[in-house]
Amino acid sequence: MKAFVVAVICAVALGIAASYVLATSQRFAWQAFSTTSTRVSQPGTNLVGPRWTGDVKGPHDEVAGDPQSGKRS
Amino acid sequence: MRLGTTISRTFVAMMALVAVAAIDAPARAQAPTTAPNPTADSVNEDLLFKQDPKIHGRISIPDQKAANLIQPQGREWRLFHEGWMPWIGAAAILGMIAALALFFFTRGRIKLEHSEESGRKILRFNGFERFTHWMTASCFVILALSGLNYIFGKRLLMPIIGPEAFATLAQWAKYSHVYLAWPFMLGIVFMFAVWLRDNIPNRIDWQWIKAGGGFIGKAHPHAERFNAGQKVVFWMVTGFGTAMGITGLMMLFPFYATDINGMQVMQGIHSLIGVVFIAAILAHIYIGSLGMEGAYDAMGSGKVDLAWARSHHDLWVEKEQAKTASGPQLRPHQAPAE
Repeated sequence: MKAFVVAVICAVALGIAASYVLATSQRFAWQAFSTTSTRVSQPGTNLVGPRWTGDVKGPHDEVAGDPQSGKRS
Repeated sequence: MRLGTTISRTFVAMMALVAVAAIDAPARAQAPTTAPNPTADSVNEDLLFKQDPKIHGRISIPDQKAANLIQPQGREWRLFHEGWMPWIGAAAILGMIAALALFFFTRGRIKLEHSEESGRKILRFNGFERFTHWMTASCFVILALSGLNYIFGKRLLMPIIGPEAFATLAQWAKYSHVYLAWPFMLGIVFMFAVWLRDNIPNRIDWQWIKAGGGFIGKAHPHAERFNAGQKVVFWMVTGFGTAMGITGLMMLFPFYATDINGMQVMQGIHSLIGVVFIAAILAHIYIGSLGMEGAYDAMGSGKVDLAWARSHHDLWVEKEQAKTASGPQLRPHQAPAE
């Protein structure tokens, strides 16, 4: 039982360590593919707005609660 | 007389004209129209694919892969992972569960055979071996469940728990799959280093296989520390584990070592080996717990009953006892010297 508990703790610790190491070598797509001539915004603020609910009633409806829904970055 | 001849010649000529018209009509009906086709010479998909396996253009953004407009092999890949893969996965895993259930209900649990050595213990796996086994095994369980979620989650789980809960679950499953892959790969390396020496195939394994491994009949064939069945599991785990690690790293670092075709091939290999791996490990879990009395102790406490060890690994017990007169075997309630 002791070997099992130590093994699970080590697995979780190594997994967390791996997440930190990977975070230093990987970037989000919106960061990786932005250049001086093309800007890709962070998801949540581009195209649909941060408070988009997904309830689109029609092609000309405003996104609920977001007056800037029509703007695209 | 002349009038009759004229009438008869006229009749023959008319019949000849009717016959010619009857023969010519179908041929005229099948003749192509002479109307011009304005798109006959235009570029179409088939023509483009004859020049290049992909349809692509030029783009100014850094990600040049986005220049690919159509890649036909992607359709085959989609057909595989959306069409064939769920059926292959279900057949492998449900087939194994059905086979194990059939084996359990026909053969039953393999009982511990008591002898005068019953009650004495022998150390089978030391602390580091058990640590290696359980670290790899616990990661495998999470990797298997989160991997199956890629194939079956949206089909089986999402209709039950709803899209919002499924999205959250799938995101955490993805994190666990990516991050716990690292201790799993480390565990595979440890297993290979620790157990390689005892898993080299030899003639005793062939005798064990010919005797049915003790599953057929009641006699126990000779076996060293690991029998042929356990050696198959060792090589399967290290081989499949390595393959899953390599293909997984290819997907974790996309396009570093291969193009889009290679990425799709890696995903196909990873998923196919994955479902076979899960099915095989189900059999391993069965025989190490429910299927055989006394087997779990080897990885539970590390110590097994000497009578059990003598039945299933007699040559190993003889070797261990020959090392020292007292041997590593222990009296009941006596702590092992690990």
